[in-house]
Amino acid sequence: MDKRLYQAWESCVKCGICRSVCPVFKEEKSEPYVARGHITLLSEFIKGNIDFKEETAKDYLYKCLLCTTCVESCPNNSETDTIVEITRHEVIKRHGLPMYKKVLSKLLKNRKLMDFAFKSATTFSPLFVKEINNPRKGINLRISLSEIERNRTLPPLSKKTFLDKYGSNKNRAEIAIFPGCLINYTYIEIGDAFIDILNKLKIDFTVPKKQLCCGAPIYFAGNFEDTRYLAEKNIELFLNLDVEKIIILEPTCASMIKIDYPKLFMYFEDKKWEEKARKVAEKIIDPISYLYNLANIKERLRKLDIKTTYHDPCHLKRALKVKDEPRYFLKAITNYNEMKEADRCCGNGGTFSIDYRDVSLKIASRKVKNIVDSKAEYLVTTCSACLMQLTDILHLENKDNIKTVHLLEILNEALEV
Amino acid sequence: MNAKRKAYDMLKKKLKNKCLTDTLSRIQYAYDATQKMYPPDIVILAEDTNDVALTIKIANKYKIPVVPRGWGSGFTGGTLNVDGGICLSLEKMDKVIELDLENMMIWVEAGMVNWDLQGYVKPYGLFFPPDPSSWKFSTIGGNIAENAGGPRAVKYGVMKDWVKGLELVLANGSVITVGSKNIKDVAGYDLVDLIVGSEGTLAIVTKALLKLHPLPEAKKTMQIVFDNMREAAVMVNKILLSGVIPVAIEFVDKFAIKTVKDATGVDLPDADAILIIEVDGNKAEVELQTQKIEQLAKDNKSVISFSIAKNAEEEEKVWFARRTISPTLKRIANDKLNEDIVIPRSKLAEMIERLEKISKKYDLSIVNFGHAGDGNIHVNIMYHTDSADETKRANRAMEEVFDECIKLGGSITGEHGVGITKQDFLEKQLGRTQVELLRRIKKAFDPNNIINPHKMRL
Repeated sequence: MDKRLYQAWESCVKCGICRSVCPVFKEEKSEPYVARGHITLLSEFIKGNIDFKEETAKDYLYKCLLCTTCVESCPNNSETDTIVEITRHEVIKRHGLPMYKKVLSKLLKNRKLMDFAFKSATTFSPLFVKEINNPRKGINLRISLSEIERNRTLPPLSKKTFLDKYGSNKNRAEIAIFPGCLINYTYIEIGDAFIDILNKLKIDFTVPKKQLCCGAPIYFAGNFEDTRYLAEKNIELFLNLDVEKIIILEPTCASMIKIDYPKLFMYFEDKKWEEKARKVAEKIIDPISYLYNLANIKERLRKLDIKTTYHDPCHLKRALKVKDEPRYFLKAITNYNEMKEADRCCGNGGTFSIDYRDVSLKIASRKVKNIVDSKAEYLVTTCSACLMQLTDILHLENKDNIKTVHLLEILNEALEV
Repeated sequence: MNAKRKAYDMLKKKLKNKCLTDTLSRIQYAYDATQKMYPPDIVILAEDTNDVALTIKIANKYKIPVVPRGWGSGFTGGTLNVDGGICLSLEKMDKVIELDLENMMIWVEAGMVNWDLQGYVKPYGLFFPPDPSSWKFSTIGGNIAENAGGPRAVKYGVMKDWVKGLELVLANGSVITVGSKNIKDVAGYDLVDLIVGSEGTLAIVTKALLKLHPLPEAKKTMQIVFDNMREAAVMVNKILLSGVIPVAIEFVDKFAIKTVKDATGVDLPDADAILIIEVDGNKAEVELQTQKIEQLAKDNKSVISFSIAKNAEEEEKVWFARRTISPTLKRIANDKLNEDIVIPRSKLAEMIERLEKISKKYDLSIVNFGHAGDGNIHVNIMYHTDSADETKRANRAMEEVFDECIKLGGSITGEHGVGITKQDFLEKQLGRTQVELLRRIKKAFDPNNIINPHKMRL
């Protein structure tokens, strides 16, 4: 048994402080949906005292965003996320994966298959999606399994992926770029913005063609075996690069590779790969911190006359501990107004937003008032999943006048040639 | 057993999906901050007073224990179903019933979280003074049950000073309202004061009428560092004698200072004790109070330094040491016996010295901090659970702490209550006759002994 599990159980003193911060608990208001409840149930499960067969019981395990707000506020930093992930893995070992998560795993492991799926989706997209009139350009599904899902605003798919556009076999450069699947397939314009910035700053980069999905969606679902495959492929690829830094555009992917890859190999007690993962981790940085540390960028940014506010993505703030740098830029170049509870999870949580769309939306809805109160014209964030979720909720609540935008797009706009 | 089955069937029939009986749910409602586990047979998620009354009626008919529960953050096992039975959760009863601005009072349901109440009244320029450390995750019902208080108790008192009325469900299921909005009211025994602090053993509190207070215009935080704990204790009395009543006077002893320093690397002075003092009022009052305290500090030879926080950031820095102690204790040993003894203010220094002796005698770290203004000391005896010998020593040391505390005219608990964790010591403090009287009161309220039984050895 993983000794980190025991540490996490032991460090929980059941004080209940997590009840005051957990976004899911705020909606559900009952013990199974808060860290203290998770930790108790999961420890009973791992000890073999209970099982997660029934549907409601599985809810107890999957209705967690892994946003780590509880870890941040816990006096003993009990790692609820680790416990939840490992328990999900144990459940999969016993009861298998749900069908759509199986398909997802297959897709993620095979770039060609994934490209094929996304491109066919693009070709046939007019059949099952309709564009909506929204500044971010979103789409709504025409047909879907559930009524709620049908109203969901998703980013439009693109014919040419980020890797199609920029992918290369070049091994040596100043930096390497890992876009992450959302930017690769849908929010390509965010990736474009970063490439523009690099070109303006004359920074030599490479976008390794052979990179695979980081595995976050299936790792968080507890599918450690398939994640391991992806992790090893990516680590090998990164170790062969002769670069100073590896910039991972998505905070979730960045924290996955930097923090969770070593954790994964710790779980498998694979010292050799853990070592390799740690070596890669040293080079990994998010694009905002990378730009912030550059000497020649700050004086080249012009002031934009727009009102902005910022939403902290969980993985950037709580996993990678980056919160000041985005604000530095926004304060320097825009009329910035901090919203209340800027670091409150948006409720996306990856597949959480598919499995529990109703709760996910309720959580997102709590952000809307704070966003409106900030009087911002632009809601800025640094994560595509948050961007998708917040665009969705603003559209649902008729607040399309507030535009959602990635900080890289703003920086590109402000950066003089 | 048959009676239980009948009762639970009836509850399920009447309350339907407000009843949880599956193993997983029962585990979820089996614990509190004592970390002990006692799964109830059935959990009732009450949504209003009717649900509570119905549950109590059925429980009374079949003589089944009912344990009321809020957010389950208690330290003494008050919400544990030690003898199975019904867990009566009031967490869904969290609404404001009436805000009476003219009388500066508010009726709320018992399941409302203290912090949410603070947020609710703040826009009206008001606040609710009792501020237990757990105020973000403990309910008004729980605060009433334990007669909770916090750092602000020096100036603003504890729960009993702010509860004016209660809606109660009695053991036979009848619903009554005790107390009133009158400032003066001496009609009959004061049942409000009896219920506040009764640890949920006499009746179920479903609603509470609470007094509110206008938010002060300003506040200021100061820090005084001493080379002598005794002098720090003397200073507390001097400040109060001078006519200044601070909101809070907190202290941190030398072991606590060392713990925080070792754990966080924060630059704290090598001192015997630190006092953190907060004053509030209108701007002129705050200024005057600050000056008086500053003068007292200047006149004292044991004071190493005196500082005033100039802004929120510096305030945070001053409070940092005090707030960081609890979480950092784990670095000394993996477990602690944590008790909240209270002694007359004048005996503070003497008690600290006795604690030091006990620490030496049993060869265990004892870290102390707490509310110097009201004599409430959080005593933390640190020990390693994997050592049977240390565990035994820790328990003996704690008994001696209680003995010494009682000898000095103190009490075994200032805030957390007796529950199950301190029930063995209650008679020691109160004496047999008094405990017998408590038992008779309990019996008068609850003849079948169904409401939170087996607590406080009642």
